[in-house]
Amino acid sequence: MDKQELISKVNSVLAEEFEVEESVITPEANIKQTLELDSLSLVDMVALIENEFGVKIASNELVKIPTFQSLYDYLAERV
Amino acid sequence: MLKGEELYQLIPQRPPIVMVSEVRSVGEGCAQIGLQIEKDNIFVKDGKLQEAGIIEHIAQSAAAMEGYKSYVNQLPPKLGFIGEIKKCKIFFLPCVGTHLLTILTVLGEAAGVTLVQAKVEIEDSDKEPLVAECQMKIFIKNE
Repeated sequence: MDKQELISKVNSVLAEEFEVEESVITPEANIKQTLELDSLSLVDMVALIENEFGVKIASNELVKIPTFQSLYDYLAERV
Repeated sequence: MLKGEELYQLIPQRPPIVMVSEVRSVGEGCAQIGLQIEKDNIFVKDGKLQEAGIIEHIAQSAAAMEGYKSYVNQLPPKLGFIGEIKKCKIFFLPCVGTHLLTILTVLGEAAGVTLVQAKVEIEDSDKEPLVAECQMKIFIKNE
């Protein structure tokens, strides 16, 4: 999977799971604000990413992933 | 395997609210927890374990799985809270005398919240062993 395919798949699965339009998911957008994640729903994103991409995001690494761009980069290094 | 009063080292609940009767196995991100349904169980009505009892059993199973981590480190069990229950299906109410085996799988962890998938089955059942399934978010209170 090249990076553009990865970005498309990330956007697609997140938009479907969290019921937002894909158009609001932009590289510089804040993940928590865009997907309206709170302390309880954050784990849903972590579980979804692990299930779809086989990448486990440790709790202490979440702070390094504030934007979608940082999520794409994080996954691209590990997929 | 842990059972009986040994379980008090894993969970903070005490009789008559204890809803697990054995911890059969605990692995990395998974566990198998059992419950023998006795007739004096406070969640039994008309000879069947009620929905609230099944949910409480799942919650205590998740707590026991987390409590096992404290147990192996010789620490007291931590308090856990149900944050959310979703995708919950209860297919039927199990009868007194049956033995439930609940299979837990951790789907993810973030910000102190653990998302667990639970499948509750009747052990050694030839037909329809699946009693219930759900996803539950557990928040463990760290002192």
